[in-house]
Amino acid sequence: MESVRFKFPAPEIDGSIDELRKEVRTFLDTEVRSGGFIPVTDCWCAGVDPEFSRKLGQKGWIGVTWPREYGGRELSALHRYVITEELLVAGAPVHAHWIADRQSGPLILATGTEDMKCNILPRIAAGECFVALGLSEPESGSDLASVRTRARKVDGGWEITGTKLWSSGAKHCQYMTVLARTSERDPNQRHEGLTQFLVPLNSTGVTVRGIRDMSGVEHFNESHFEKVFVPDDAVLGAVGAGWKQITSELALERSGPERFLSTFVALEKVLQQGASSITGHQAAVIGSLLARIRALRAMSLGVAALLGQGHSPEVEAALVKDLGTRLEQDIVERLREFWPVHLKQSYGDELQRLMSDSLLRQPSFTLRGGTNEVLKGIIARGMGLR
Amino acid sequence: MEETEQLVLDTAHRIFTDQCSAGIVNGSERGEVPDRLRQAILESGVTLAWVPEPAGGVGGSLALGFSLIRQAAEFALPVPLADTLVANLLLAESGLAATESWAALAFDGGELPLMVDGKVSGMVEAAAGASGAEVLVVPVSDKGAVRIATFAHAAVEVEHRESLAGEARSRITFRSVAPDQLSGPVDCMTADGLKQFCGLVRACQISGALEKITELTVGYVKERQQFGRPLGKFQAIQHKVADIAGEAALTGAAIDQAIRMVSAQYAPLRGGSQAFLALATAKVVASEAAGKVARDAHQAHGAMGFSYEYPLQQYSRRIWSWREEFGSEFYWSERLGMAVTSEIRAHEARHTTGSAWHMVSR
Repeated sequence: MESVRFKFPAPEIDGSIDELRKEVRTFLDTEVRSGGFIPVTDCWCAGVDPEFSRKLGQKGWIGVTWPREYGGRELSALHRYVITEELLVAGAPVHAHWIADRQSGPLILATGTEDMKCNILPRIAAGECFVALGLSEPESGSDLASVRTRARKVDGGWEITGTKLWSSGAKHCQYMTVLARTSERDPNQRHEGLTQFLVPLNSTGVTVRGIRDMSGVEHFNESHFEKVFVPDDAVLGAVGAGWKQITSELALERSGPERFLSTFVALEKVLQQGASSITGHQAAVIGSLLARIRALRAMSLGVAALLGQGHSPEVEAALVKDLGTRLEQDIVERLREFWPVHLKQSYGDELQRLMSDSLLRQPSFTLRGGTNEVLKGIIARGMGLR
Repeated sequence: MEETEQLVLDTAHRIFTDQCSAGIVNGSERGEVPDRLRQAILESGVTLAWVPEPAGGVGGSLALGFSLIRQAAEFALPVPLADTLVANLLLAESGLAATESWAALAFDGGELPLMVDGKVSGMVEAAAGASGAEVLVVPVSDKGAVRIATFAHAAVEVEHRESLAGEARSRITFRSVAPDQLSGPVDCMTADGLKQFCGLVRACQISGALEKITELTVGYVKERQQFGRPLGKFQAIQHKVADIAGEAALTGAAIDQAIRMVSAQYAPLRGGSQAFLALATAKVVASEAAGKVARDAHQAHGAMGFSYEYPLQQYSRRIWSWREEFGSEFYWSERLGMAVTSEIRAHEARHTTGSAWHMVSR
């Protein structure tokens, strides 16, 4: 019988990691105290503040793993991990630069032209340039390979026509990575003929329209591309290799701390306010959530270590995201036993605000970046069932 | 893990593979003592993994012992290897001679029997390994300090009882009896430290069993055909298997983290606050996973998994018992929650800000 055991190696934590953590904590603490930002739940999607992103850029906390020549600091993935988790638990407004730091930057580094690396990466690292994802479409959600956006070869470049949907933060972004079909769809090879482009959003023919979500935040966008011309060197990687690039990009995206810490800020607030009068039963509910968070963090750090060792832990990453996003939802579902959530407006009560915002945002946790059903399919394939 | 330790693990694995078939496990529950298995294990010396070399043991790391325990659980080993390992660790740590035979561990996480005027009184509700053990190892309380005592079986009242999976869990009554051997007070042990350590032992056992259950389930749904195709081709079944794999993986990660943490302690049996978080986490996650995985795996197996013949039940019955022993997920969750809130309160008293995150990320 084949082995199905997953290993999650220990992260190698040295003094510089603890130093960095302390530095980030002190900075965030000062920012909150001085009114620099108000903590929000699901801050990596719902907290947009380009000014704050610039501040982080000035601190040198964006793109930290990238080469120095492109604006990075050549720190380890673990350094980046520590920065991101501290930002998340503080509820800092990090959405503007989040995608560019997490995946567009690494994508450009892996597949972009030298020109892109020299011109765009340093601006991303400075917190001045943001990138949106152009994946989903009106007719393509989980079945991403069915995208209809077309890129037609023209003299000196490509002409892109189509519509991208649910792109978070696109209104604040200068670029979008657009997945488009560059050759006719072959039903037998559905994943072939897809190409990624880096499209400047100020190009002629691009319109971006904001979409309000059920929690009242307008971070989603619908972006329409009408015969948008991009030069040949806007192609990311190889023409036709888009699918392979996307899947390795998603593996990076799936195992980070934002997959289990989106609502931690609400749990923390409950503890800050309720610590003096906690009952045994309340402690048990909170303790069981904290235990699961600790275990998920060990898993997530293990995936980071595997990535650092050059492995591609696609199944492990899917496990983290499936378990982690459900836990993010469980936090509010279980806390409401003691702190009911029914008022839309917070009336100045910060705990109520964090709880109700967490609840209103939680349907998205198990959808974004691949639904949990898609993830379970990936896991099942990893176990040899598909 | 060092090469020599890997060798010990490999040796144990070979013995388990050769001598511990599913038939042996079922047979032993019905009273057929697995003599060859017991003999092979004793001869290999793995029961002395946690005894220092100068004292005649293997001198292995804590990680080695926990790996052995996990591995034994993958075979539903019908022999108290885990309990003998712990018993020998207690003997060695308290300066007493380890046993080269099987030991019973008269400790279940409850109150320790009391030592008064050189004699021991009290009761242990569920002592592991007491049938067929040569020596009974008992942590006792002497004016608040822990001492380790040993008894011959005949010297105490033993009422035979079994776990859900037929593992010996005897009630032992001490009516003012003098021990055969008695250590001095052992500084590096507390009753709570022992409970935390033994909780991790059970969590490791659960983890090993979950790995095996995952393997059995994947194997079964690939083989079993219904409606003209293997069960594993149905999305509903695939999602159950993914859930099982997730719980098993989460448990494995929590266990590994706890083993690393306890290995870094100067006194792993004293119950310090550093290791507490990791140990409590491991038992909460493992015990929660036990119930979920047992349910999903049985559902995927249909009636076959419910039969005595098929090996799944040896694992599900074990994890249902192990999840309760040395504190269930409810017990450790409450302690974990209380520990976090009391740290936050301590900060408040000093007018500083405490945070659950600081404890989670520690």
